[in-house]
Amino acid sequence: MELRLTELRDGESGIITSIKASQGRSWRSRRVGRGWGLKKRLEDMGLTPGTKVTVVKSAPFRGPLEVYVRGSRLAIGRGMAERIFVEVKR
Amino acid sequence: MTEKKFTIALAGNANVGKSVIFNLLTGLHQHIGNWPGKTIEKAEGTLHFKGYTIDIIDLPGIYSLSTFSIEELISREYIAVERPDLVINIVDASVLERNLFFTLQLLELETPMIVALNQMDMAKKKGMKIDTEKLGELLGVPVIPTVAISGVGIYDLLEKSVEIIEGRHKTEPVKAKYGKEIEEKVEKIARMVEKTQFKYPARWVAIKLLEGDEEVEKEILKINPKIVSAAEKLATEIEEIHGHSCSTVITSERYEAASKIAQEIQEITPQIKPPMRERIHALTTHKIFGYPIMAVSVLSIFYFIFTFGDFTSSFLGDSLFGLKPIFEGMFGTGVVGKLVWGGVMEGIIGGVTVALPYILPFYFMLYFLEDSGYLSRIAFLMDNFMHKIGLHGKAFIPMMLGFGCNVPGCLGCRIMETERERLLAAFVVTLVPCAATTVIILGLVGAFVSIQWALALYIIDLLIIFFLGRLAFKALPGEPTALVMEMSDYRVPHLKTVLKQTWFRLMEFVKMAFPLIIIGSLVIKMIEILNLLEPIANILSPVTVTWLGLPAITGITLIFGVLRKELTLIMLATLLGTTNFAQVMTPVQMIVFTLVAMLYIPCIATIAALAKEFGWKKAYFITVFEILLALLLGGIAFRLLSI
Repeated sequence: MELRLTELRDGESGIITSIKASQGRSWRSRRVGRGWGLKKRLEDMGLTPGTKVTVVKSAPFRGPLEVYVRGSRLAIGRGMAERIFVEVKR
Repeated sequence: MTEKKFTIALAGNANVGKSVIFNLLTGLHQHIGNWPGKTIEKAEGTLHFKGYTIDIIDLPGIYSLSTFSIEELISREYIAVERPDLVINIVDASVLERNLFFTLQLLELETPMIVALNQMDMAKKKGMKIDTEKLGELLGVPVIPTVAISGVGIYDLLEKSVEIIEGRHKTEPVKAKYGKEIEEKVEKIARMVEKTQFKYPARWVAIKLLEGDEEVEKEILKINPKIVSAAEKLATEIEEIHGHSCSTVITSERYEAASKIAQEIQEITPQIKPPMRERIHALTTHKIFGYPIMAVSVLSIFYFIFTFGDFTSSFLGDSLFGLKPIFEGMFGTGVVGKLVWGGVMEGIIGGVTVALPYILPFYFMLYFLEDSGYLSRIAFLMDNFMHKIGLHGKAFIPMMLGFGCNVPGCLGCRIMETERERLLAAFVVTLVPCAATTVIILGLVGAFVSIQWALALYIIDLLIIFFLGRLAFKALPGEPTALVMEMSDYRVPHLKTVLKQTWFRLMEFVKMAFPLIIIGSLVIKMIEILNLLEPIANILSPVTVTWLGLPAITGITLIFGVLRKELTLIMLATLLGTTNFAQVMTPVQMIVFTLVAMLYIPCIATIAALAKEFGWKKAYFITVFEILLALLLGGIAFRLLSI
């Protein structure tokens, strides 16, 4: 099923399906939406569709997520992580 | 005789040991500055090798060549326009896939290149076996394995570099191949671009146009708008086939190419036992234990710096002030003597007693923690908290520095990604009570009113930071901030690199702040010699006496405080002729005075740092804003407390 990255349990993995530049906008909008630069940044860091991503843990009080992707460890702010959609087998 | 001079640029991801290699290559011949008009640090150095003079440029650590951050823009502009004779791409062998993603982009810029496959030791520790020769074949450029922290491979790297520049070693860089649909479109656009004589390679421009790169689009629009509209049409076609934006598809395929190369050349034996660095990572980012560990580390660093700083500062101050009779012997005690000693020398002493004892250890700890990898963990833990003032986790680091001294705090804002975040963070930093402000709070309110009031002032300051941070965040337009940061593996910092980084940053501070400090203290000395202090205090009295309810003399001390904030307290003692402030000021006056001194102006060195990073206009704006804010709050406090 498709979930937001923030909905994954600690240690759970999923395959990225898409990253929304901003809530409610489709992928079709080029450079539209306030999060476009950050979406590009995530993709440049290796979070492209089809990539396996593992949530290691999240910092307390709704803090950022620690994820493992393409052999490196990243910290992603929660607001941004909520826009990453992943396919998970549950 | 021919001039044997050339330029090499170092490029690579952050945390790959780039600065270690830079420091190994350039030694003590370094120059740290900013890229013209930008808040990005530019490190340059020279090196002599086999009769050549080689200029080394350390490009910022980046992950891509898009326009997400100024660093990326600067790097690609530099490579494409300045055309260095060679680019050394430093690759972290232990995180091959993501590093090669960047390598492939560099190759697209069609610049002469060589790869330094660094951190081979770490790769080995992680159970990776890498076929370097094969990597060289696949990329079409020489690959030199290196372990920078122990100097392994650096000589080979230089030798190979010279070979390539001399043309003895021909390279045939491979270009990343995309899927058929994309390749066709890239070629189509590239053919159109070729005719325009644009500064970047045609194929690269074509790819960037498909990705929808703003900067490239803007420039091509000026040359031939038809190309841009053609590219947009082709990009839409790709989007329809793949169901993702064209930029996503291209990034994806580039990563696939990088991944394929990585798989072909590396063999990984999984490790059974989690290594030490993993356990430290788990502990220092732990939901519960992470915070006390952070608090203890930060506080002990502060304790160390202040103990060291206090001791060294008074030692240096005492010895330098001991020179006074010598100077008076040379220049007399007339106007000239007063200006030389009271203006120039006291300015220098003021600078030295801040720079060496406080800023030096601060920088040292900063680079030490950064190199070890702990700073990114602190940013991870503090991200949520920093969001409350409109910034993200990384901004905690300059803020933390600001508690020691606002100057490194302001300079530390360079770690933020966008110009907007930098300015926001710097603004917040200038409001943070620095060591000198702490001296006033504790020395006046803490000693003569009560420690509770001193603490209350601290809390008030933090609340002000909180509200103004939010306000500035709302007022400044731009992209929302979010943390996207690599947490690279923990490692033992390379001490020599840390020391050099510290030293050259200190020199940068000295060059920037000392002239201003000296000019400032000369001006004040002149005012003193011309007997203008009292008239000025009288001019200011409507503000100081009527509005703030302070003794008129404080107007003078606040002027001196511009040089160094603790001078407000020292001058107060001098002018009032006593250090028992309770005799001459009421508790309310002391609280109001401290509140004003805390906020009213960033000291002159901080203003210099702001001007250097953001230009005089913004520095001036922040300064005026904070003066008005301090006066407003001081006046309100006076009225509230007098009830």
